[in-house]
Amino acid sequence: MKKNRNQSASGGWCTLRVLTFKKTLRMLRLVLFCFFLSLANVMAIDSYSQMTRLSLKVENDRLENVLRTIENKTEYFFLYNRDLVNVEQKVGIDAQDRTIKEILDNLFKGTDISYDITNRQIVLSSKQVSNYLATQQRTITGTVTDEQGNGLPGVSIAIKGKSLGTITDPAGKIRISATSQDILVFSFIGFKTKEMSVGSSEVMNVVLEAEVQQLDELVVTALGISRQSKALPYNTQTIESTELTAIRDPNNVMNSLQGKVANSLITQGSGGVGDDARIVLRGNSSISGNNNALVVVDGVPNSRGVNINPEDIETLTVLNGSAAAALYGSSAGNGVLVITTKKGSKEKASVSVNSGMTFNNPFSLPKFQNQYGQGMNGNLDATNGNNWGAEMNGQEYTNMQGEKRKYSPQPDNVKDFFDRAILLNNTVSIQAGGEKAQGYLSYTNTKNDGIVPGNSLLSHNVNLRLTTTITPKFSTDAKITYYTGSVRGILRAGEGNTSVLDIYQIPRNMSLSDVKKFETPDAFGVPKPAPFPSTLASRYQNPYWIVNYDRTDDKRSQIFGFVSVKYEFTKWLSLKARANIDKYSVVSERRTNQGTVDWATRPGGYYSISHSNSLSQWYDVTLDGSNDLGESFKLDYHVGGIFQDGQYEQTSVTANGLNVANKFSINFATTPVPSSSSTHVQTQSLFGLANLSYKGMLYFDASLRNDWDSRLPSPHAYQYYSLGGSAILSEILEMPASISFFKLSGSYAEVGNGGQFGLLENTFSYSAGTANGYISRSQTYSIPGLKPEIVKSKEFGVEIKFLRNRLSLNGTYYHSNSMNQLLTIAMPVATGFSRQYINAGNIQNKGVEIILSGQPIAKKDFNWTVDYNVAFNKNKVIRLSEGLDVVYQGSFADWGGRPQVAVGGSFGDIVATKWARNDKGQFLVTDQGLPIASGKVGQQPSLIGNFNPDATMGLTNTIQYKDLSLRILMDGRVGGVAISGTEMNLSYSGLTESTLPYREGGWVLGGLNTSGQPVNTAISSQQFWQTVSGKRHGTGEFYAYNATNFRVREISIGYSLPVPNYFFIKSAEISLVARNLFWLYRGKSKLDIPGLKKRTMWFDPDITYGTGNTFKGIEYGMPSTRSIGVNLHLNF
Amino acid sequence: MNCLHTMIKLRVFLMVFLTATAITSCTDDFSEINSDPNSLTQIGPAELPFLFTTAQDVVNWGGQVEQNLFADQYAQYVANNASYFPTDQYEIEMDWARTVWENHFVGALPQLQSIMEKTEPTSGEYALALLWTVYSAHRVTDYWGPMPYFSAGIPGKSVPYDSQDKIYDDFFKKLDEAVTVLKGMSGKNVFGNYDIIYGGNVDKWVKFANTFRLRLAVRISAIDPSRAKTEAEAAYTSGVFEVSPDDDALALNSIQDVNSISQMSEWNEFRMSATMESVLKGMNDPRLPVYWLPAKNTGTFEGLRNGLNSVQLAEPQNSVKANSHIGPRWTAPISGGVSDYLTTPSNVMCTAEAYFLRAEGALLGWNMGGTIKELYEAGITHSMHQWGITDQSVIDAYLASTATPIPPDDYLHSPALSDVPVLFNTSVQSIQLEQIALQKWIALFPDGMEAWADYRRRPTIGLYPVANSNNPDIPDPNKQYIRRLPFLTTEYQSNKEATEEAVNLLKIKEDKISTPLWWDTH
Repeated sequence: MKKNRNQSASGGWCTLRVLTFKKTLRMLRLVLFCFFLSLANVMAIDSYSQMTRLSLKVENDRLENVLRTIENKTEYFFLYNRDLVNVEQKVGIDAQDRTIKEILDNLFKGTDISYDITNRQIVLSSKQVSNYLATQQRTITGTVTDEQGNGLPGVSIAIKGKSLGTITDPAGKIRISATSQDILVFSFIGFKTKEMSVGSSEVMNVVLEAEVQQLDELVVTALGISRQSKALPYNTQTIESTELTAIRDPNNVMNSLQGKVANSLITQGSGGVGDDARIVLRGNSSISGNNNALVVVDGVPNSRGVNINPEDIETLTVLNGSAAAALYGSSAGNGVLVITTKKGSKEKASVSVNSGMTFNNPFSLPKFQNQYGQGMNGNLDATNGNNWGAEMNGQEYTNMQGEKRKYSPQPDNVKDFFDRAILLNNTVSIQAGGEKAQGYLSYTNTKNDGIVPGNSLLSHNVNLRLTTTITPKFSTDAKITYYTGSVRGILRAGEGNTSVLDIYQIPRNMSLSDVKKFETPDAFGVPKPAPFPSTLASRYQNPYWIVNYDRTDDKRSQIFGFVSVKYEFTKWLSLKARANIDKYSVVSERRTNQGTVDWATRPGGYYSISHSNSLSQWYDVTLDGSNDLGESFKLDYHVGGIFQDGQYEQTSVTANGLNVANKFSINFATTPVPSSSSTHVQTQSLFGLANLSYKGMLYFDASLRNDWDSRLPSPHAYQYYSLGGSAILSEILEMPASISFFKLSGSYAEVGNGGQFGLLENTFSYSAGTANGYISRSQTYSIPGLKPEIVKSKEFGVEIKFLRNRLSLNGTYYHSNSMNQLLTIAMPVATGFSRQYINAGNIQNKGVEIILSGQPIAKKDFNWTVDYNVAFNKNKVIRLSEGLDVVYQGSFADWGGRPQVAVGGSFGDIVATKWARNDKGQFLVTDQGLPIASGKVGQQPSLIGNFNPDATMGLTNTIQYKDLSLRILMDGRVGGVAISGTEMNLSYSGLTESTLPYREGGWVLGGLNTSGQPVNTAISSQQFWQTVSGKRHGTGEFYAYNATNFRVREISIGYSLPVPNYFFIKSAEISLVARNLFWLYRGKSKLDIPGLKKRTMWFDPDITYGTGNTFKGIEYGMPSTRSIGVNLHLNF
Repeated sequence: MNCLHTMIKLRVFLMVFLTATAITSCTDDFSEINSDPNSLTQIGPAELPFLFTTAQDVVNWGGQVEQNLFADQYAQYVANNASYFPTDQYEIEMDWARTVWENHFVGALPQLQSIMEKTEPTSGEYALALLWTVYSAHRVTDYWGPMPYFSAGIPGKSVPYDSQDKIYDDFFKKLDEAVTVLKGMSGKNVFGNYDIIYGGNVDKWVKFANTFRLRLAVRISAIDPSRAKTEAEAAYTSGVFEVSPDDDALALNSIQDVNSISQMSEWNEFRMSATMESVLKGMNDPRLPVYWLPAKNTGTFEGLRNGLNSVQLAEPQNSVKANSHIGPRWTAPISGGVSDYLTTPSNVMCTAEAYFLRAEGALLGWNMGGTIKELYEAGITHSMHQWGITDQSVIDAYLASTATPIPPDDYLHSPALSDVPVLFNTSVQSIQLEQIALQKWIALFPDGMEAWADYRRRPTIGLYPVANSNNPDIPDPNKQYIRRLPFLTTEYQSNKEATEEAVNLLKIKEDKISTPLWWDTH
C-alpha cells in the first residue's frame, strides 16, 4: 500500500518534469529521495552504484539531455546549480554495460565538472569552485520550520557521514559549520527526516513536513480495499508484522496477538502443538455458532488462516466491529482479522533469513501434596492409585510391580514427565523485481515439539507471489501457497485416559522410573500394560502407555492461492477480478494398542483413519471508481459480485478390533465401519460501497449487500447495509497547538449470516450394526423456515493525537445486538426429538475500547514508547424466544459446571452445583458433618459466575537505545470465573496440596443439618474431598476460581548487529524472546471453605478444555507453556 | 494505447462482470446443494425394516447408566463397588437416568411411529411396531410412573404426561390388537433377519406378546385384580412361552453393538450383591457359576451389600478382587470369560418367567393351565435349561433341596435373606408366594428392570436395606426402599408445565423416590 503511494507520487513527478521547472523539480526530487530514505531503513542502497550498469551512446548532445537520459534509465538524479555548472556544453559518450562511475568519469573527462554520488543522488559542481569550497568550512544559518512556518526548536541537524551535529535553538534557528560537499540531515520526531546538500548555500531555510504516515495510514479493509485510516467511520487496529515475527508463538500466529489487540480474548485448545487457537473480539454473541473472528487473507476469507507463516505477513489489521466487516457478510459479525501478505518490490532485490529456536516447558501444573502416598483411609496400599494412604516416611513396601521400594515422596514425578520442548523455525524469503514484474518467494520449515512426549509438528510452507504490470493499465497479482504439515501424538482433550491427566494421577510415592515400566510382553510378545495403580482402572492407565501406544497423527496439506487482474479504464475507474481457491486435506490416523483402557475395547486394538477434504472457491469482480465532484467533494465507490462455494467431505473407517494385534491398517480390521459426511454451501452476493469525502475533513460511508444463500429456504435472499461517517475536527476547527489530530466517527451496520448446512428437512441416517444396520431419524427437529442471523451494531469512535503525535488516544464505544440467532434448544424428548433449531434471541454486547500510545522519550538514540489498551465488555441476553428463557450448553455430567444462556443473564454464565445453603446463606451439612451438594436438597444448579472477563488490558513498553531494543508486554484480565475439572478429579484421589490439612480428621466444618440443627461432627480430609469431588462428577462450586490474572506475557530484547557497509549481509538482528514469563497476580478460589485457606488459581485460564462454546470456562488437563527463545533475522 | 484495443478490453471485462451477475441470480440448484447425500429425507418400504432393527436395538438391556446403576442395584442383583457412583446410595444421577427416557422417546418411538405411518394397521409390520412400542414404553413407565404416552411423538412445546393406569389400560388394548393381527399371519415372516430377536418369526412373536401381556397383568394384580385376571387368562389362552431355550427372547448383538453387560464388565465397577450370595450360595444353586465368577483373591463367590459408601468401599473386604465378577459369558478371557463375550445375546424375556407368572396367577386362583407346584417347578427347570443346565438329576436335586439362603458373611455381617427352601411348600400360601418370588428373582437375572418392578409390586422376599442413603426422600433405609425415579431435570427444564402437572398424577403427589407407582400397593 505504501508502494502504491510512491507510484502515484512518481507519476506526478513525471508530469511536472515535462514542464522543466528545474527548481521545483529539484525540490521534489529531494523530498522524494528523503521519502525513500524514510521508507527503507536498511535498503541495499550502497550496492546500487556497484550493481547498476547501463549502456549509453550519445554523439554531440547537450550535457543536460544526457543527464536526463541517465535519469530515465536509472534511479539516479542530478543536482546542480546552473550558474556554476555548464550543462549547455556538448558532450559525447559510447559506453556498454558500465557502472555509473565509469560513465560519469568518461562523460566529464575534459570538462570542469566534478561529481559526487551519494546514494542515488549525484551532485555536480565546478571543479574549481568545488575545490575552493571544499576547503572552506562555512557557517550555515537559517531556520527550520513546519509547513505552517512555525519555527521548530530542538531539531537535530547532523552532517551526514561525520560525527558532527547540532540542534536548532528555541526559535528554530540553525547555526552549523559545513563544507559545500556536506549533506545536512534534519530530523525531528513527528516529522519526516530531510537531507539537504549544502552546495553553495549559506542560508538554508528548511521546511519539515509533518510525518503524515500515521495520519494518512492506509488500512486494508474489507475485500482488500485499501483506505485511508482517517476516512474510516469505524475503529481498526493494525498490528505490525514485526510484532508477529519478533516474538512469535511457535504454535500459532494467533497466540502472538495476546495482549496486543484491544478487547480480544485468545484461548488455546489443549491438544498440544498444532491445536487451534481461538480469538474472540468484543465478546461472544453467537450462542450455538461460532464466535471466533473471521480470518481474511489477501481479501478472501480463509477458514484455516492458521497455516500462514508469520514471516509472510505484511500487515495484520483487526476490524473489531461489524461495520468494518459488513462487506464480508456471513460470519463477519464476529469481527475480522485482515492479513495482507508480502509482495515483491520493484525497488530492490533482497533476501532475508529468519531462524528461531524456542524452548517450551509447562507453565502451570497442579499443586501436589508430597506427604501421603498410595492407599485409602490412612493405610498404605500399593495397588491403590489414590493417595489417602499412610504418611511417607521412607518405610519399605512392595510396589505393584512386585519390587521393594522406599515409601518416600517423589515431588518432581509429574514435572519430569514433561519434556523441555524445542521448537525450531526457519524462513528464507527472496524478493526481486523490475518495473514490469515483481516476485516474492518464501520457504519456511517448522519443527515444534510439544511438552508431552511424542507430540510434535513438522511443517513446510512454500509461498510464491508474482505481481506484474503488463501495461500501465493492466496488472495482475497471483499467489500460491503450499503447506504440508504432520502432527504426531495429538493430545486428546479432557480426561478419558489422556496422557496428561494420567500423569497427574501417578501416586506421590511412585518414581518416574517406575512409571516408565509401563509394559510387559504377553505369551506372544505382544505388549500388555504392566500392573499400574490407577485411580480408576476403567478409565485411566499408565501415561507412558498412552504416549507410546495410543497415538493420533495427522497429515495436513493445504494449497491455496489466487489470481487477480486489474484493468484501469481511466485514472478514475478500474475493474478488478479475482479467483481464489483453497484446498485443505487432512488424513488422520489413530493407532491404539490392544490393552488401552477405555478405547481399545476389542481384541487386537483399535485403528481408525479419516480423510477429510475441503475446497473453498471464491470469485469476485469489483468495479472501483473515484471521481472528484467539484472542487471539494470526492466520491469513491466499489460495486461488485461475489460467488462463494464451500465443500467439505470426510470419509473415515474405524476398526475397533484387529485380527492381527496392533497391526494398524484397515486390512487387519475385524469389522471395519466406514462413515462419511459432507457439507456444501454456496453463496452469491452483490454489493456496493460508496465513500464521499469533503475536503479531506468529512467522510461519509454507505454499503449495501445482497446475499443468496443455499442454506436458506427459497428465495434464499437477504440484504444488509452499513452507514457511517467521520469528521476530522482538527481540519475543520482551530485546535489548541497541543492537538495535532482529532477525529470523530460513527457508524451503524448490519451483517447477516445464512445459518447452517442442511437444516431445512428432517433427516434419517444409517449406521452399521447388528443385522443389516440401523436407520434412525435425526433427533434434531428441522427448521423449514430458517431465517438469516443478523448482527446490528453501532459504534462511535474518537481519535486524538497530541504533541505532534507523541501521544495518541483512540477510544471506541460500541453496541451490538445479535438477532435471529440459530439456536439448538432442548425439545421435550417426548416429542420424538431432543433438540430443535430455532431462530431467536437478542444478545447484546456493549463496551468501550481505549488504546493509548505515548512516547515519553524520543531522542535520536533513545526512544521509549508505551502502548496501553483496555476494554470493557458487557453482555446481556435480552430475549431468547417465546416461552424460552434459558438455553443450556454442554452437560453437567462430567465437568462440574455448564454454560447457560438465560434471559437477563449474560453469555458465558456458568451454572454449577453448589454447597447447599439455607435461606440465611448458612451451609448445610449431613449429620456426619459433610457438605451437602445443592442437588441433593432439590436445589437446581445455579449461577456461579461468567467465564468472560469484565475487562481486558495490555501494556507494552518498548525502549530503544541505539541498536538495542527492549519490549515488555504485560497483560491481564479482570473478572470472570473458571472451574478446574483437573483439580476436581485429583482432589478426589488425595493428590492435590489442598487435601493435606486434616488428613487425620478433626475437621469441623460447622453448618446446619437439613432440619436446621447445628452439626459439629468432625470429618477428615478424605471424607470431605471425596464428597465434594465425586471424582468426575463433582460439585463445581468447590473448584471455581476467580479468573482475574495479570502476567508478564512477553519480554524481548533485540540487538541490531553492526554490519560493515561492504559486507554481503546488510543487516542482522538478534532477539531474545520469552513468553508467559511469570504471574503478577492470580485470582483465588471462589468458595471460602471453613478451616481452609482460599487457594490461588494454579492453572492458566487461557487454556480451555476445548475451543468451542460448550466447554469455555472449564479447565481440564493440559498445562499452558512458558517459552524462551532466540531469533535471528538477516537481510542480504 | 490503441483506442480500439481498449474498447475490446472494456467489453471483455463488462462481459465478465455481467456473466458474474447472471450467475449470482442462479439459485435453482440451491436445494440440491443444501441436501446431504449421506442421509435420507424420505423413507419408504425398503427402509422400514432398518427402522425396526433400530427400535429393537435401542432398548439397551443391561446398559450401565440405564439399568446397571439403577434397576440392577435396586433389584439387588449387583452392588456398586466404584466409590464414585452414588446411585446405589439412592442418589439419583439424572443424566444417567435420562438415557432410559431418551432411548424410548427419541430412540425407539420415532422409528416405530414412522413404520406405523407407512403401513396398514392390518399388516405384520404395523403389529410388530405396535407391540414393540408397548414393550419400550413399559420400561419407562415402570421407572417413573406417569409419562407422556398418548401425545408422545408430536412436535410441540410441551407434551402432557399420562397416568400409569391409563397407560396400562392402553398397553393391554394395543397388545390385543397386535396379537390379533399376528395370529392371522401364522407361519409368515415379517422383517426377516432385520428382526434381531426372532428373525421375523410371527408365531414366536405371538408367544412373546402373550407372555408380555401376562407380565403386565400380574403387575396390576394387586391394584386391579379383576382386569388382571381377564388379561392374564386371555394371554395364557392365546399361548405363552413354553420351552426354553426355543422360546426365550434374546436380542442379537454385533461387534459394533456389543452386549451392554459385556461392555462394562471389564470396567470392574460392579460386583455380585450380598443378596445374590446369600440366596445362590445358600441354596447351592447350579446357576451360581453361570451368573458369577469366583472372587480373584479367595476363589470363592463373594458379594457386597448395596449402598456402601466410599470409606466402606475402601476396606479390603469390599475391594474388586475380594468379590465376584459377573459370569463368564459376559466376561473377557483375560478375566476368566469367553472369547466372544462381547456378542453374547442380550436377555430380553425368558420362558421361566412365563411359568412363574402362571404360578402366581394360579395362586391367585386364575386359570393358568397347571397347579402352582407344577408351574413353579417348570419355571425352575426352564431357567436351568436357559442357562445350559440340562442334567435332569441336577435339576431334580435342586427342586428337592431344603437348603435355604445363608448369611453372606459380608462386611456388614448381614443375615440370611430368607428362610424358604427350594423344595415347594405344599401347604402355606404365604411361603409358596415367597418361594415363587425368590425363584423368579433368580430366574429373571440379569433383567434387573423386571426384577425391581416385580419386587416393588410384591416385596415378599425382603431385600436388604441399602447400607447408606444419601437421599433426603429416604432418610432411614431400614424403613423404606426406593420405589421410583424422580422426574428428570431435563423434563423440568424443557417440558416444565407438563412435568409439574404430572406430579399430580402420582399416587402421593410428591415427586420423590419414595412415592409408590400406581400398581405398587405397598
